[in-house]
Amino acid sequence: MLSWSSTESGEQADLAAVANGSDGTGIEHGDALLRFATACGGRDDDLLRAARSELATITDEAFMIDAAAVAANFEMMTRLADSTGARMPSETLEARAAQIGVMGVAQLTSRR
Amino acid sequence: MSAAAIVRQDLADAHALAWDHIARPGSWWTGAQRIELASTVLMAIEDVEPLPPWVAVSLSDRLPEGRVAPDAAHDAAYRIARHAGTMTADVYRHFADELGALSYVELCGIVSSVAAVAHFCRNIGAEVPPLPEPVAGEPTGDQPEQLAPAELNWVPVAAPADRTAAVVQAYTAVPGELENTWRMASAQYIPEDEMIHADWSRRPGGLTRPQTELVAARIAQLRECFY
Repeated sequence: MLSWSSTESGEQADLAAVANGSDGTGIEHGDALLRFATACGGRDDDLLRAARSELATITDEAFMIDAAAVAANFEMMTRLADSTGARMPSETLEARAAQIGVMGVAQLTSRR
Repeated sequence: MSAAAIVRQDLADAHALAWDHIARPGSWWTGAQRIELASTVLMAIEDVEPLPPWVAVSLSDRLPEGRVAPDAAHDAAYRIARHAGTMTADVYRHFADELGALSYVELCGIVSSVAAVAHFCRNIGAEVPPLPEPVAGEPTGDQPEQLAPAELNWVPVAAPADRTAAVVQAYTAVPGELENTWRMASAQYIPEDEMIHADWSRRPGGLTRPQTELVAARIAQLRECFY
């Protein structure tokens, strides 16, 4: 979805940067968003506090809250997918082979 | 002003309704059992020294005495809340055999919705609201007229199977969890009708679709979720 939406909107997301949690995402405010998402998915409260503050400062509080909600949504959807054994049809997997490789997720236990 | 004070109303409402939903009898669990399992989910998410995936929380000293939900339900709740990416078909079959497949699906709905609210609160620096008192009453037994095995999920789904994406059909066997989950997703992520629009944004100056998907992709990767 990131690859599709960024291409459609004229940006070009760097999936490797997203996968590595590094700068250079190619998306407006993407590097701060990535730091915030990484902190949301981690356990370090100080890191999260700093990333939240950075994102709210360069955008606004409402933007940060919307990003927090998206992160929360994927805390929900990942558990939904992995507890119910959700998998993609083979043709979808073939179409996404390049992105799967770049994101480094091909060997996950959750690949079914 | 705290971040919690400026959460938009539809999102605050979706989370308040999720808490209310968890307290009510479901199709297969009572309100008391659902709240007890939700407490285990919160404990698992906040656990500073989490049990490894292969250790049952019911064999630890981390659960309260006098529980009303079976040990296997707490074990599944803890495992999915903290280690969802390690779930396998064998582990699913173990829990489905112990609990019943539809009870298991309802449990997954409890875990995933509690996880969303708990993580959202942490993400914005707010306290998780206390779980409500359970609503009395027996489970409703609500289920679709016809169920079907799925190729795209381990769990049974409403017939016909595999006509939609696996994540869309995953909770169709338990209508209450389906409704609650997609109400939350609409407020947290994108309304279902807007999914096909790459230029959708919730408001002027709000997250663009690529920004939204960047956050989604990073969380999915950190949770080791292939889907």
